[in-house]
Amino acid sequence: MYRYDEFDLGFVSGRVDQFRDQVRRRIAGELTEEQFRPLRLMNGLYLQLHAYMLRVCVPYGTMNAPQLRKLAHIARKYDRGYGHFTTRQNIQFNWPRLQDVPDILEELSEVEMHAIQTSGNCIRNVTTDQFAGAAADEIIDPRPVAEIIRQWSSLHPEFTFLPRKFKIAITGAPEDRAAVRFHDIGLMAQEDEAGEVGWSVYVGGGMGRTPMIGQRIRNFVPHEDLLAYLESVLRVYNRYGRRDNKYKARIKILVHEEGLATIREQVDSEFEKVRGGILTLPEEELSRIRAYFAPPQFVLSDDRFNLADLKRNDAGFARFVEYNSHPHRQAGYTSLTISLKPIGGVPGDATAEQMEVVADLAERFSFNELRVSHEQNLVLPHVAIRDVRAVYDVLKEYALAEANVGLITDMITCPGLDYCALANARSIPIAQDLARRFGTPERQAEIGPLKINISGCINACGHHHVGHIGVLGVEKKGTELYQLTLGGDASESAAIGDILGPGIVAEAVPDAVERLVQTYLGLRETKDETFIAAVKRVGAVPFREAYLAT
Amino acid sequence: MRHSPITTKRTDPLRAMGIIALNGMFGEDDTDGVIRKAVEMFGRDLAVVSSFGADSVVLLHQVAAVDPGLPVFFLDTGKHFSETLQYVTDLKARLGLTDVRTLVPDSKDLERFDPEGRLWENDPDSCCHIRKTEPLNAALEGFSAWITGRKRFQTAERGILPHFELTGDERVKINPLAYWGEDDVAAHKKAHDLPEHPLFADGYTSIGCAPCTSAVQDGEDARAGRWRGLNKAECGIHFDFNGEIAPAEVKNGPVLFKKGRFVADPFKPLAENANLKGVRYVHVPLSKVKDNLAAIRQNPHPLGLLIESSDRVEDVAGELDRFSSVAISFPAFGDGRGYSTARLLRERYGYRGEIRAVGDVLTDQIGFMVRCGFDAFVVANDATKRALEAGELAEVSVYMQPVGLTEVPVGTRPFLRKPGKPVTRRP
Ligand code: SF4
Ligand code: SF4
Repeated sequence: MYRYDEFDLGFVSGRVDQFRDQVRRRIAGELTEEQFRPLRLMNGLYLQLHAYMLRVCVPYGTMNAPQLRKLAHIARKYDRGYGHFTTRQNIQFNWPRLQDVPDILEELSEVEMHAIQTSGNCIRNVTTDQFAGAAADEIIDPRPVAEIIRQWSSLHPEFTFLPRKFKIAITGAPEDRAAVRFHDIGLMAQEDEAGEVGWSVYVGGGMGRTPMIGQRIRNFVPHEDLLAYLESVLRVYNRYGRRDNKYKARIKILVHEEGLATIREQVDSEFEKVRGGILTLPEEELSRIRAYFAPPQFVLSDDRFNLADLKRNDAGFARFVEYNSHPHRQAGYTSLTISLKPIGGVPGDATAEQMEVVADLAERFSFNELRVSHEQNLVLPHVAIRDVRAVYDVLKEYALAEANVGLITDMITCPGLDYCALANARSIPIAQDLARRFGTPERQAEIGPLKINISGCINACGHHHVGHIGVLGVEKKGTELYQLTLGGDASESAAIGDILGPGIVAEAVPDAVERLVQTYLGLRETKDETFIAAVKRVGAVPFREAYLAT
Repeated sequence: MRHSPITTKRTDPLRAMGIIALNGMFGEDDTDGVIRKAVEMFGRDLAVVSSFGADSVVLLHQVAAVDPGLPVFFLDTGKHFSETLQYVTDLKARLGLTDVRTLVPDSKDLERFDPEGRLWENDPDSCCHIRKTEPLNAALEGFSAWITGRKRFQTAERGILPHFELTGDERVKINPLAYWGEDDVAAHKKAHDLPEHPLFADGYTSIGCAPCTSAVQDGEDARAGRWRGLNKAECGIHFDFNGEIAPAEVKNGPVLFKKGRFVADPFKPLAENANLKGVRYVHVPLSKVKDNLAAIRQNPHPLGLLIESSDRVEDVAGELDRFSSVAISFPAFGDGRGYSTARLLRERYGYRGEIRAVGDVLTDQIGFMVRCGFDAFVVANDATKRALEAGELAEVSVYMQPVGLTEVPVGTRPFLRKPGKPVTRRP
């Protein structure tokens, strides 16, 4: 994992001092909220429905045990004992007091964390595959490049006042677990004819009120040219992205309005000029950063799970293994997802105690490494198969062993009206109702992989557009209503869900989902045909009929 | 008619009447009588101001005849021809003047507004203000009246100059040579065998500071050589025949921040239908430059270029060398297009002149702007002004990425980072 050097330290602590002074001036009344706003936003501090919210950056979702322990400490000392992991692979604290924020930031800096660039119209935290550096199907570990992008984009003087926020996702595996085609720029590892690994670049993806799937703008960019290429895209966007309308300001609209060919031409012409310049990434530098992400000292073994056996003897544990483990590139190891979606709980929330437990497990069983997934779960990336049982036992004790990863109750859910000032409707209670409805292990197992994503408003923080079933809070004449979408897909076969019909009230959502699920169960060809595969095969019609038939 | 702030004092009408009445007492050519009357009225409360230029000798000669002990002020602007300085010494001796006082500009003003001594190039009004108006105002504080060598014929504006004027600051200004013509001057010099200014023979008929004086062609107005090409005919000390000393305007202090301090801004707003062939020290909008390339190319004066945030610098890439300043507009704090424009100017087109940020320029942006190549800031926001004056800028001290041509010397490691520089550095 990347370690700060004196540069990063200077950078981060400089920021803390600066913000401490700004907070002091705000509290002393020297700054109005209006003047303070851009300053606090630059430090990840939002004003929400009830209180300030601090968004702390977890660079490309990678953490170590001391960092998670520090987050636990902050949750306990400055907040109400819990934190909320987000789809941006970040963590949010919902109840910090303004005067404490400089102290929080200072404590974070002690473990090399910060809240810089978690908001504002700048390049946001780069996100990646939560199994980066561990997944069996990986072509290349994307984290070194993600780290280099993090450095390049940190307070970039040219790109701090973009038309709108800018999100970059990067994945090193062919199976897209980072939803790269729903980001402003998506990078996907790619091998050229010579077997050289580089990056295939997608541009103009995004969700929000105008969801769009990113289009491939360049097939192959070698490592050494990647920053130059990114700078070219950003410059074109900074200069020509719309600034007249906040809702049309993302790069997806530029690409959509100008056409991919035009944007490609502009980017290429820019790239031609900056390529080979100061941003050329020397191989030694890449290796230097890569060394931080060297694989841990794995113990050679050919342990593997015997699922059939487990199922007979230990059904609970078997389910955990079946759903929460992910194939590791090292024989004898697996990546374990710790679900933060307990039935009836708040998706993405973790208590201070839970964080500490997970931190301990990471230290003991995962080479001190941790990940946050954009599905709002935590991951122990490198667990020896022989240790999984021990891990499971601890998790169980702390209500962290929910075996539902990728299943219907593993929902992505935004904070919604319970916290968010922009919300039309509640999201968390919907998730809780759905979890209760479908939460039995048998039911979930029968339905199989199915993603339900819930957003409290059109801003789509809950990624409803890419839910196999999406739930969107809308407001009609003062009542909270929910619109359902079908067929969204965040993976490499990206798709945006179609609206099924008119909005329905909260109480009707579980029944409506039930009808969709029943439709699927009725028409799937085999037990192996997943919900999304069935939808893609038969289309929306039978589902729409089911949705409308009340 | 222009009014200066000094007119706020009410003029005593009786006194005004008395002074104006003096104008009826002397014949047009009674120079000697006028000077004697002035000495009689004011005694040692009277001073003479002379430029020691081409015609100055005439007045000084007659003053010396009446009272060689009158204080004579000479404004040593620091910009005079060496011939002029020599002429001061020579005339003093020849005429027997015993109290020639040399006035020099305030060194703090020079340091602040004209550290390189080139202010005259782009802002002669301010230059005259600090080199002439201010020192003279200070010197005249102790006097009730002063004698000038102004003449009606010199420029159109002086056409109705009287012998005695009461100025807005309750001072009396006396113009003994008001009715003299060119021929009279020449005849007087000849009759008394007065020494000419050494440059007079070379065609200099009106001599001021070296940079602002050129030879006058035959048939041209005698002062046409002063501030040639500028809309400037009068120096601050002589402005306005009603006699008000008109200081150059420095309203709320300068707003141009450059090289770590606020400085006087040579550039002026571009007038609506200005002739682009002849304008100077204005920022011409990029679209106008594109549409009037011929005029811009013919224009021999220093010019700036104004780039709006939606403009493409590429469109005038070939013309950039022609501009001594580029103003990049920030219509709103959050509009970041200008950062890209500045980098392109510096890095792609190798532009070396001033790049200034205009518009919504706030403290928090300046660090970023400097890194992108800006070296001047027009700051309207008070808090930002204070922060800049105090050297307090929102900036992080290390940079995480290379930007520009100079931030990361080739071969430096780590690859992407370097310590920041204070924004107040001198580029
Ligand atoms: S989707 Fe809407 S309600 Fe949910 S967090 Fe985002 S802005 Fe708030
Ligand atoms: S005449 Fe020229 S050099 Fe002299 S003070 Fe005025 S502007 Fe400056």
